Amino acid sequence: MVLNMDPFISVSLAIFLPFLLALTIPAVAKLIKYQVGWYATCVAILSFLLITSTAPSILYGKTLHQSIAWLPSMGIDYGIYADGLSTMFGIIVTGIGILIIFYSNAYMNKKEDLPRYYQWLLLFMGSMLGMVFSANTIMLFIFWELTSITSFMLIGYWRNKPESVYGATKSLLITASADLFMLVGFIILKSITGSFDIPTILNSSSLIQSVKGHELFLPTLLLIFIGAAAKSAQGPFYIWLPNAMEAPTPVSAFLHSATMVKAGIYLVARIHPIFSGTEAWFIIISGTGIITMLVAGFLAFRQTDIKALLAYSTISQLAYLMTMYGYTSYEEPGLGVAAATFHLLNHATFKACLFLVAGIVAHEAATRDLTRLGGLKREMPITFIIASIGALSMAGIPPLNGFLSKEMFYESSLQMGHVLGGIYVYLIPGLAVLGGIFTFAYSVKFVTAIFLGPRPNKGLPERIHDPSIIMIIPPAILAILIVLFGLIPSIPIDNLISPAVSSILMQSQELHVQLWHGLTTSLLMTMITFLFGILMYTKYDVIAHWQNNINHKYPFLSINYFYDAFVNNAKGIFTQISSRIQPGPIKRYVVSLLLLLILLFIIPILYLSADIIPQFNFNIHPYEALVFIFMIVAALGAATLPKYLQAVLSLSALGYLVALMFIYLSAPDLALTQVLVETLSTLIFIIAIMKIPQTFKESISKFTFLKDAIISITVASVVLLLMLNANQGIIPPFESLSYYFIEKSLSLAGGHNIVNVIIVDFRGYDTLGEISVMCLAALGVYNIIQSRGENQ
Amino acid sequence: MTTIITKMVARICLPLVILFSISLLLAGHNAPGGGFIGGVMFACIISLAYIAYGLEEIKKSYNPNWSSWFGFGLLLAAITAFSPLIFGHNFFRSAVEFLHLPIAGEIELVSAGVFDIGVYFVVIGSLLTIFKMAGEDQ
Repeated sequence: MVLNMDPFISVSLAIFLPFLLALTIPAVAKLIKYQVGWYATCVAILSFLLITSTAPSILYGKTLHQSIAWLPSMGIDYGIYADGLSTMFGIIVTGIGILIIFYSNAYMNKKEDLPRYYQWLLLFMGSMLGMVFSANTIMLFIFWELTSITSFMLIGYWRNKPESVYGATKSLLITASADLFMLVGFIILKSITGSFDIPTILNSSSLIQSVKGHELFLPTLLLIFIGAAAKSAQGPFYIWLPNAMEAPTPVSAFLHSATMVKAGIYLVARIHPIFSGTEAWFIIISGTGIITMLVAGFLAFRQTDIKALLAYSTISQLAYLMTMYGYTSYEEPGLGVAAATFHLLNHATFKACLFLVAGIVAHEAATRDLTRLGGLKREMPITFIIASIGALSMAGIPPLNGFLSKEMFYESSLQMGHVLGGIYVYLIPGLAVLGGIFTFAYSVKFVTAIFLGPRPNKGLPERIHDPSIIMIIPPAILAILIVLFGLIPSIPIDNLISPAVSSILMQSQELHVQLWHGLTTSLLMTMITFLFGILMYTKYDVIAHWQNNINHKYPFLSINYFYDAFVNNAKGIFTQISSRIQPGPIKRYVVSLLLLLILLFIIPILYLSADIIPQFNFNIHPYEALVFIFMIVAALGAATLPKYLQAVLSLSALGYLVALMFIYLSAPDLALTQVLVETLSTLIFIIAIMKIPQTFKESISKFTFLKDAIISITVASVVLLLMLNANQGIIPPFESLSYYFIEKSLSLAGGHNIVNVIIVDFRGYDTLGEISVMCLAALGVYNIIQSRGENQ
Repeated sequence: MTTIITKMVARICLPLVILFSISLLLAGHNAPGGGFIGGVMFACIISLAYIAYGLEEIKKSYNPNWSSWFGFGLLLAAITAFSPLIFGHNFFRSAVEFLHLPIAGEIELVSAGVFDIGVYFVVIGSLLTIFKMAGEDQ
């Protein structure tokens, strides 16, 4: 592969090709039908190649930082910043992306709306790449939001399932509202440092010092962290991730375990040099991490759905990463960061693998319920082996990669406790081990509940077998990587982890990780983990039962309870408010509009023209007078005729008479438009009234009649007053704009018809807005009529 | 509503009015007319045909998806608005070019004319979408 492109261009291409080629998917889908997934796979491979082509130079310490001015007045650029960290993420995103899209070819039913599925997957991949390679916080924010939106679309892929819609809405509400906090954080950061550019801040120690010393340090950190925590399902924000499991399983594997939920972790790693080394950093990041790790790990016991179990385990594992990035001690800052970065890569491999296995099981056994599964070892031997590798790696069994990074987690916890002193020497490692015990127990449960034990006779298909080769290859590749990274850790460490850690710590780091590293305290902690993990596994069902009971008795102990209450109340309250503001009958809207009109005009007119007496010195041509008389007759007819059809025709007669006036005032364009619009609106009017009884049935009470008459007469008199006063010098004379247009129409725009030149050229921007409104109006009518049909 | 007279008038007028609406569209830059008027005229004659022959009858022989017309029009207008950016000019910068053809004589090509064509399609599409929806609604 010869790719000697400029790295800036190739990274930009890697970001934007998925966007562009996603647009072509519907066309391609017409040509090759359900094979369109292979096309999407090729796009992912293309992005992967583009990133790997730039990777070598970046991984050897050369960072890429290049910008094009975008909004120079705001200090916002389109900028690419590629260092070890973002390149590692880029490779994970595209690498897992290839496997997921490949796998989807067999997983997704051919009858599904495949173009939409692959389109959103590619759009997600592009947004994620854009996010990790952004040099600019605003650009990062834009791509960050795009990942939220694509995730929303993918969770809600099955639009007809209420659970999907609920999950999609929940994820968007929580992540998108938290992202706004993050945006504010970015803006404060800019006001402290004077730059939106991340590398500029990272490379300037004086700027970093000024951030750390600033009085807004804590708010900035908190605001940015809220966005990161919501994205990575940490702290109270975790509740969206379990519901996001309504997405197709490949999507869960891609977005909600391996990549998108790591965006928050990425952001924490990215801002690590700016904020770390402070007490607040440790307390906020590690504190949230440890609590989430324990709570989510514990709650995983209750889950009976495979994917829900994996969701809670993902939350807990992401919390490991948070905790480790939060470990900052002045003695050895690198330990926690190195452990976190290594575990990040390992988690992407084993968790994606487990999700793909979950997909296989659901696809073949037609259920994801752990209580109904069991004993599939004989029927699905290959899947069993892959699942065991993934789950044991998550449990931290040697010689798999999860063992190594968990050891590093324990080591960094020990060290952090040691630095803090006091009871923390035991507390922090103790909590870490507790998290590990939970992980061990549910990892083992994952394998035993599906593959071991007796095979239930009820509810499972007669014959279950390993899936097609297309669905086996992606998890198999991941399983091979798990073993490989475990046995020869120097491969990922030297090529990906060291450069990433170096760029987080802003100094070059040499890491050495070995499978056997002697009898250390952390190895002892691993032994304890296994011992208690096995013990806890034996009590697994008891704990799950107890959790169910508690949840049943005290529903308000769950955060979901508050989320649902909040959302439902918000819906209820706003339905009430909007039903007050918008009651329905058009008459009320018209009345309020007219009353406002009277108020707005009568006051200035009376105020300004108090001493001006209107002069009635008009020259009305006999021909004009005739037209006016007809107009009055037509207006009276529209108001008094007893049948709808007659009234409507009378109204349109009035419209045509107005057109006649326009001709008389030499405005042919206006007259033509008026005639045509009048014609069309009459036609639509007639079509509408054909469907209702032809006479006015309702009798109008005297009170209503009086009220309406007063309103009409007042409006008419106000308009009359306005007209009479218009020429009397209320408005100070100003130079008419039309001279400019008359003069410049031909020379600037090459047109003789000034009206048209104004519409399409001088005020083209307005016209663009107006035709957009027209399209929206048409869509609105379409929706109103369609949805009314549904309600009946 | 559908007397033989209406049907005959609609049949005769249809091609003439469509041609006239196109001529209004193209002449709009220098004479009365333009995309909006042309579009409304087009919409009028199609609705006349719908009324004269009945929506169902027309749909059998010719049933375009009007909503895609306004999508196309909006796209065209937006492209015209943004394309000057590619050549390094301002948003919405218009260009005028005079062509001298052997038979047709001098023809004026205006980029704003393309924009007007976009307006034309938006007007036709949205008006007829509304008209057809209102007509189909039971």
